[in-house]
Amino acid sequence: MTGQIEIEAKNLNFYYAGDIHALKQVSLSAYKNNVTSLIGPSGCGKTTLLRCFNRMHDLYPKNRYEGEIIFQGTNILSNDIDIINLRSRIGMVFQKPTPFPMTIFDNIAYGLRLKGIKNRSELSGKVEKAIKDAALWDEVKDKLNVSAYELSGGQQQRLVIARALAVEPEVLLFDEPTSALDPISTAKIEELIVQLKSKVTIIIVTHNMQQAARISDWTGFMMLGELIEFDKTDKIFTAPSEKLTEDYITGRFG
Amino acid sequence: MTRFDEELMHLKEMVLRMGAMVESSIKDSVKSLVERNDDLAKAVIERDHQINALDVHIDEECIRLIALMQPMAGDLRFLTTAMKITTDLERMGDNAVNIAERALELNREPILKPYIDIPHMSQIAQGMTRDALDAFVRRDKKLAMDVIMRDDEVDDLKYGILEELISFMIRDPNTVYRAMKISFIAQYLERIADHATNIAEMVVYLVAGKIIRHMTLPTE
Repeated sequence: MTGQIEIEAKNLNFYYAGDIHALKQVSLSAYKNNVTSLIGPSGCGKTTLLRCFNRMHDLYPKNRYEGEIIFQGTNILSNDIDIINLRSRIGMVFQKPTPFPMTIFDNIAYGLRLKGIKNRSELSGKVEKAIKDAALWDEVKDKLNVSAYELSGGQQQRLVIARALAVEPEVLLFDEPTSALDPISTAKIEELIVQLKSKVTIIIVTHNMQQAARISDWTGFMMLGELIEFDKTDKIFTAPSEKLTEDYITGRFG
Repeated sequence: MTRFDEELMHLKEMVLRMGAMVESSIKDSVKSLVERNDDLAKAVIERDHQINALDVHIDEECIRLIALMQPMAGDLRFLTTAMKITTDLERMGDNAVNIAERALELNREPILKPYIDIPHMSQIAQGMTRDALDAFVRRDKKLAMDVIMRDDEVDDLKYGILEELISFMIRDPNTVYRAMKISFIAQYLERIADHATNIAEMVVYLVAGKIIRHMTLPTE
């Protein structure tokens, strides 16, 4: 299952504005068509790391990266990277659903239109495929022209996943995608993530350790900006090598 | 200490209590044979109900804690190990009952020969049981490995006993009834030592997270 590396952080350091050292020498590989989860206590740097993978931190100019992130042979931290293009290849889904204030159809078509697809039938074909891939089609096929805000929280989250899938990314980053959802919607999203890995490589940050255990192939445990342990998920949750990992996942921290 | 830690501690005490009962049963079953004491043999048979009840109770507790606490890593290994250990302890209790039953039968017959190797086997098996459980409580991998090594000694003793009994039976067919019963007892003791070995292997898993059952041990 090890296979091919899709994206890899090498000796990555990250500083927030004001020289706050948030990531320290992190080296981690996410394998192609695998789900990799990042766990750790609040403030450990897991979300910071996730946001490095599609340069989300560039929104604030004083943030600073050191080291490399190699994505398909290219260091995406170098200055000449087209960040808009990068973010369509490495998509992101956030904690709270973020539908745009427009119809369900237009939400999905948005990224496609940005990419220059104008042909009506091509557009509908791709929208339908993305919604199907996000396991939402049966629930919305008769109301593609209603506002996305009319959907439930769980449906909105799958809509956002469909929107990310529409532009055919190679990697999807999930930042606690189910922490605002009820258990049924959570189960649907989890099932979806496992299905999606045949199409994309997935990295997910989660506070829910059972979720990491259920859906990921690899797990990284982080603390105070460092990657403490990275291994197969079943190894991490049955017999971790590091005492810090053991203490965290058995709830005996600090 | 968290509430969960207290529950684990309580569970550990129950496993130890069950282990102590099984150890007494092994000791008393062989003693009832050597000293031709029927009352002691009956006490062993009677005690088995308590051992079985404890086995069921420990399993229920483990299942409850797995369901309610969602244990991970070391805690998960502890609970699954406890469940497996009690299965072996329960079988050891059954073997002690079998020894006591054979003792009741043999006590009605004239003595075939003085028992020397059977008590010796029993002592080793008891020691293995005690040490395997000590290793479990202290998470002592070294002691567990030591228990595993001792199993060969018990096997050798059993083969010695069987050879001797066969020679008795060949020389005098009148000894067959008794010699067969004694050979069963040697077999039960050998099984008890095997179960103690299983427990020790589970302790290695508990400590190191690595299953060593059905593997050839590295020679050190």
